[in-house]
Amino acid sequence: MSTTLTAADTASRAPERKPSTWTSMSGRPPSTSTVVRTTLLVAGALAVVAPLVWAALSSFKSAEELAQTPPTLWPHNPTVDNYTSGLQAFDFARYLTNSVIVTVAATVLTLAINSMAAYALAKFNFRGRTVFFLITLATIMIPLQVILLPVYQVVSSLGLTNSLLGLIIPPAATPTGVFLLRQYMLTLPDEMIEAARVDGAGEWAIFWRIILPLSRPALAVVAIFSVIWRWNDFLWPLIVAQDESKQTIPVAIARFASQQAIPFNQILAVSVVTIVRIVVIFLLLQRQIIAGLSQGAIK
Amino acid sequence: MRAQTTIGGLACVALAATLAACAPGTAEPSSGGQSAPATVDFSSFKGKTLTYVYFTDGPDEKATRDAIAKFEQETGAKVNLQIVPFADLNTALQARLSGGNAPEVARVSDWHPFADEAVDFKQYFGSDYASEFSAGAAGTAQDAAGHMYAVPSDSTINGPFINVDAFKKAGVAVPTKWTWEELVTSAKKVAAANQMPYAVAIDKSGNRLSTVLSQFGTVMVGKDGTNALDKAKAAKALTFFTDLVKSNASPKDFWLGSGSKYSGANEIFLAKQVPVYLSGPWQVGAFAESAKFTWAAVPNPCEERCGGFPGGKFMVAFKNSKDPVLGAAFVQWMNRAENQTEIDKTAFWLPTRKDLTEKGFDYPTHDADMKVFVSQIRETPEDTWPAGFDPAFTNSAKALIAETDKVVAGQQDVATAVDNVSAEIDKAIQGAK
Amino acid sequence: MTAASAPVRERPPRGRVHRGRVNTRRLAPYLFLLPNMLIFAVFTIWPALNGFNLSFYDSSNGRTFKPVGTGNYSAILSDEEFWAVVRHTLVYTVGFVLISTVLAMALALMINAQRRGRGAISAAYFLPIVISPVVVGIVWRAAFDRERGMVNQGLSAVGLGEPGWLVEPSLAMVAIIVVGTWIHLGFYAMILMSGLQSIDGSLYEAARIDGTTTWQAIRLITMPLLRPTLMVVVILATIAGFQSFDFIFTLTGGGPVSATTLMVQYIYENGFSYPIEYGLASAAAVILFVVVFMVTFANYVLGRRSDSI
Repeated sequence: MSTTLTAADTASRAPERKPSTWTSMSGRPPSTSTVVRTTLLVAGALAVVAPLVWAALSSFKSAEELAQTPPTLWPHNPTVDNYTSGLQAFDFARYLTNSVIVTVAATVLTLAINSMAAYALAKFNFRGRTVFFLITLATIMIPLQVILLPVYQVVSSLGLTNSLLGLIIPPAATPTGVFLLRQYMLTLPDEMIEAARVDGAGEWAIFWRIILPLSRPALAVVAIFSVIWRWNDFLWPLIVAQDESKQTIPVAIARFASQQAIPFNQILAVSVVTIVRIVVIFLLLQRQIIAGLSQGAIK
Repeated sequence: MRAQTTIGGLACVALAATLAACAPGTAEPSSGGQSAPATVDFSSFKGKTLTYVYFTDGPDEKATRDAIAKFEQETGAKVNLQIVPFADLNTALQARLSGGNAPEVARVSDWHPFADEAVDFKQYFGSDYASEFSAGAAGTAQDAAGHMYAVPSDSTINGPFINVDAFKKAGVAVPTKWTWEELVTSAKKVAAANQMPYAVAIDKSGNRLSTVLSQFGTVMVGKDGTNALDKAKAAKALTFFTDLVKSNASPKDFWLGSGSKYSGANEIFLAKQVPVYLSGPWQVGAFAESAKFTWAAVPNPCEERCGGFPGGKFMVAFKNSKDPVLGAAFVQWMNRAENQTEIDKTAFWLPTRKDLTEKGFDYPTHDADMKVFVSQIRETPEDTWPAGFDPAFTNSAKALIAETDKVVAGQQDVATAVDNVSAEIDKAIQGAK
Repeated sequence: MTAASAPVRERPPRGRVHRGRVNTRRLAPYLFLLPNMLIFAVFTIWPALNGFNLSFYDSSNGRTFKPVGTGNYSAILSDEEFWAVVRHTLVYTVGFVLISTVLAMALALMINAQRRGRGAISAAYFLPIVISPVVVGIVWRAAFDRERGMVNQGLSAVGLGEPGWLVEPSLAMVAIIVVGTWIHLGFYAMILMSGLQSIDGSLYEAARIDGTTTWQAIRLITMPLLRPTLMVVVILATIAGFQSFDFIFTLTGGGPVSATTLMVQYIYENGFSYPIEYGLASAAAVILFVVVFMVTFANYVLGRRSDSI
C-alpha cells in the first residue's frame, strides 16, 4: 500500500486469488462448510431480491388479480395497462434528464470539495483542525427535514430556487463524505507527502498527483454514496424545484402517488419503472461499485 | 431589503447562540391596509407570468390545463402551473412564503393558515363578490369580519358508490333510500353472494368519518365556533363504525395500516373486494376509466339525519407575490360561470357558483351519478358547512381519526375516545383563535 | 494502518530558501477547507443555528414568531406523545443498529470466504440501497399485506399463520426494523469487507500454523483489526437509525396508532402539517441533534480508545 495504487493495480489484485477460485479447485469436492456457506449466501440473496421481484410481477397484474386471496405468483393475464395508464401522465424523459444532470453535477462537486477538505483534516496540523472536524462530524446528524425552512430561506435569498443549481450546490458539502475520505486518507503514509515536499512539489500538486490517485477507492465509495443520495433525494427537490420542468424522478412519483384517485397497481407500475432504471445503471457499474467498496475503501 | 434581513439575521444568530434574543424571520408582513378597491384591467396582463401551485386528485388536472390555455389565449398572460403532491402542499407553500417567494395563486384545502398573506377578493371585485357563490360555499370562504381571503373553486359532498353488478348477482335492489342498518345488511348479503371479503369500505379521512358523525346527528364544531360534539350521539356513531371495522365488515387492515395519513379505499372497491364504498364525486372520473364493472353513485344512508358531509377546495392569491393583481384576476376568471362549468364537466367537480348550483348543468358523461351527488347537497344538514370549514376542523378531524384508531386497535373504549376527541376539539378551537 | 494515525507534525522551516513555501503550507489547509466549509456554513451551519434560534419562539406559520423562552422545551418534555416517540425511536435504532451490524458482519465474513459467484452475490445484497426510500416503502407495503403479501405467503406455507404486520403495533416495529436492515445490510457488509481485505493475510497463515481454529482466528485476529471499520459502520447505522423517515412514512405512515412514528416524522409533522408548531418542531430537532451527537461522539471516542489499547 505504500506505492501508488492505480485502477490497474486494484484490478490486478483480485486475480492473485482467482486462479485458485475458479479452476484449480475443480478437482476437489467442496467442503461441507463451503456448501453450507454458499447455501446460506444464495438463500439470503434470493430473500433480499424477492420483494423486488414480487413487486415487478405484481405490476403486471390487474387491480382484481392484485387483490385476490390467496395471491397469485405469476400474473395470470399479464397486462401492461398499469404501465400505459401510469406512465402517460409522466414526462419521464424530462425528469430523467433532470435527475441525471443533478446527480452527475452534484457528485463531481462533492468529490472535489469533500476530498480537499478531507485532505486538510487528515494530513495537516493547523489551528482549528479539531474544531473543523467536530463541526463536520456534528452536522452529519442534522437531517434536512429539521432545518428545511431556514435552508430554504438562504437558498431563496441567493436566488437559487427553481434552478437545478439549487439542487446541486446546497447538498454538495456532505459531511459523511468528508468523514469517510478523512478516515481513508489518515491511512496514507505521511512520508510520501514529506518526500514530495522535499522534492519541491507544491501543495496543490501533492494533493492532485499523489493524494487523489491514492484515494481512488475511497473516492469511489463517496461517489457511489453521492449518486445514491442525489438520485433518491425527495424533500429538497420537492420544495426547491418548483417548476415541473425542473422536477426529478422521486418528486414526480410522489406527486403521482398522492392523487386521491390513483389505484395502487398503477403506483406499483411507476415504482417498478424507477427501480428497473436504477437497477440497470447499478448492474452496469456493479463491478466498479463492488470493487471500489471492497478493495480496501474504508479503513 | 433582502440583504438587510440577512445581515440582521447574522447579528441575530451571533446573539442567539448565547441567549436566543432575536426575532427570526422577516418582520410582520405589511398588511397592505384596507385601501381603496383595486382596479383589475384584464387587458393589461399581456406578457405577464403568474405561478399557480396546484395539487391534483386526477381528472381535474386536464380540466385545469384546458382552462389555463384558454386564459392564456384570452389575456396573453402566461400561467406557470406547478403541481405538488397533496401530502406536501403545505410544506411547499410554507417554504415559499417564508422564503419570500410566494406564488401568485395556490389551490388549498384550508385557507385559514394563509389568511394573513392572502388577497381579500372583495377589494378587487367589490363587496358583493361573495354573493356570486352559493350561500354555503360563500360562508366557507370568508372570515368573521367579512374578508374574503379565498374563492371556493370546487365543492364535494360525500356519498356511497355501489358495485351494481354485484348487487344484481345477489338479487339485492339498488337502493334509493336506506338506513345504515339496511346498508350494512344488504352490503353483507351482496358481499356473501359475490365472495367479497368486506361489506363496506370508507376512506381513512376525518372528513369521511365526519359524514358518519353527521348522519348519527352531531358535528364537531358548531356554527359559532364552539364545541358542538354531542357525546352520546358521537359515542353511538363511533360504536357503530368501530364495530364494523373490528368485525372486518369494513377492512380493518386498511384502516390501521396507513398510520396518520389519508388513505383511499378506492382500490379495494375497484378490485371488487367490497360492494359499497363511501367516498365522493372526485372518484367518478377515475372509476369511469378503470372500473371493470358497472357501478353507480347512490344516496347516503340516513340515521338520525340524511345527506353527506361537504368538502371543497379553494383558490387563494397571495398579496406578497410578484403580481397580486394578476393572481386575483386569474382566480376570478377561473371561477366565472362559463369557465367553472367547463372545468367541472371534465373534473367531475360540483359547482360553487350560485347561478350554476341553481340552474344546474349536465355532465357529458356519468350525469346520473353526478346528479345523485347534487341531490345529496340538498339532503345534507346545514350545520355541516360551518362545521366542515371552521378553522378548527382540520385539527379536530385529525384527533377524531387518531382516537378512532385506538378504539379499533383495542387500546381504549369508545367513551374514552369521545371524551378525548371532545377535549381535542376544545384545544383546536382555542388554537384557531 | 489505524484510523487514528497521527497527522504530520509541523517541522521547523529548513532554511530561508523555503520560507515562501512554508507560508503557503501554513495557509494550504485553510484553502483546502474553504470551498467545502463555505457551502457547509451557508447551507447547513447557518440554517441550523437559525433553527436553534427558532426553538425559543412560537410560530404557527413559520413566518411570524412570538418569543416563548424555553416554553417549547418544557412543552415537549411534558408531552406524552413525545416520550412515546422517543421510546419508539430508541427501540428502532437499537434494534436496527444491532441487527444490521451483526448480520452485516456475518455476511461480510461469509462473502469474504466465498470464492464462487462472489460478485453476483454481493450485488444482490447491495441492491436495496440504490432504490429510492419512497419506492422501498411502496414495495414493502405490498409485501407485508396480511392476506396478499409475499411475507405471509411464505410464512403460511411453513405453517406460521398470517400475522398482521402493519396492523399490530409491535409487529409493525419489527417490520420497519426488517426493512431498515434490508436497505442497509449489503452496504454495511461491503464496508466491512473492505476492512477484512486490508488485514494482512500472513497473520492468518501464522495462526493456522499455530493451530488456531477458524472461530479463534475471527475472535483474536479479525475482530480487533476490524474495529475501526466496525466503528464506521456503527456510527453510520446509528445516524441512519435516528434519522429514518422516508421509507417508514410510505410503509406504515407512522401507524398503526403511531406505533412507528419516529423522531423525524414527529418533527416534520409538527413543522409542516396542521396544527403547525414550528418552534416546537425546532426544539424537538435540537433535542434529537444533541442525543445523536452524544451517542455518535461516544461511539467515536470508544472506538478510538479501544483501538489504541
